[in-house]
Amino acid sequence: MAGKTRIKAKEKDGIVTVMALAKHPMYSGVEAKKLKVKQNYITYLTAKVDGKIVYEVNSSQFFSKDPFLKFKYKGKKGDKITISWVDLLGGTNTSEGKVK
Amino acid sequence: MNRRNFIGIGLTVAASAAIPVNLSAVDFRKTKEKAWMEKDVSKAIKGLHGSSSTTEAKVKLKAPDIAENGAIVPITITSDLSATTVSLYQDSNPEAAVAIWTVPAGGVVDYSIRIKMQKTGTVTAVVQSDGKLYSAKKLVKVTKGGCGG
Repeated sequence: MAGKTRIKAKEKDGIVTVMALAKHPMYSGVEAKKLKVKQNYITYLTAKVDGKIVYEVNSSQFFSKDPFLKFKYKGKKGDKITISWVDLLGGTNTSEGKVK
Repeated sequence: MNRRNFIGIGLTVAASAAIPVNLSAVDFRKTKEKAWMEKDVSKAIKGLHGSSSTTEAKVKLKAPDIAENGAIVPITITSDLSATTVSLYQDSNPEAAVAIWTVPAGGVVDYSIRIKMQKTGTVTAVVQSDGKLYSAKKLVKVTKGGCGG
């Protein structure tokens, strides 16, 4: 059900722009009832570079299906980004990307 | 100083030393569980930030005027403030809170996400900086609901 997070990151003038697409159905309460599945969505997502948090969000059921995220941080080329999330039912995923 | 007191001091020191570590990774869903269930935007802001009085300035909220598909409403929040937390709300879904970001030290506030909206509603972004709250609002017209409706 839950798959890999696609990560694309580019550096320009010391600022890295990261685009990530997490694969998750993000069932809200209403949707879950309709589809007769359990309500489930990513509740907590972080992006780390060298063990340091650069992005942290407590998300909710109102994120779109396969949530897309874009954010910036002060970094450099070659940084390794680790994005991991936890969902309501305890599912987790960790994916890695490299800054170009 | 007797032994019992000494242990007490040791515990206090350990607890206060642990706080800064926790601050960098706050799971608001665990600490402010109730605020996520609030149906009212100002109540949710109060629950998550401790106050609901905001100044409408210094925050840029980019959202479409009309969203044809409520399942994908692109939202962008930008601000030059040195923020500690950023949060997002809307009043078209059953609950008000959408997301809350913890901004790391020296972080850049430039967040884009896609959200779901059941019907036309106002999106509110709140940025907390230096203990003060700044906000921006935008009305988004939704022509097709995005919560399976």
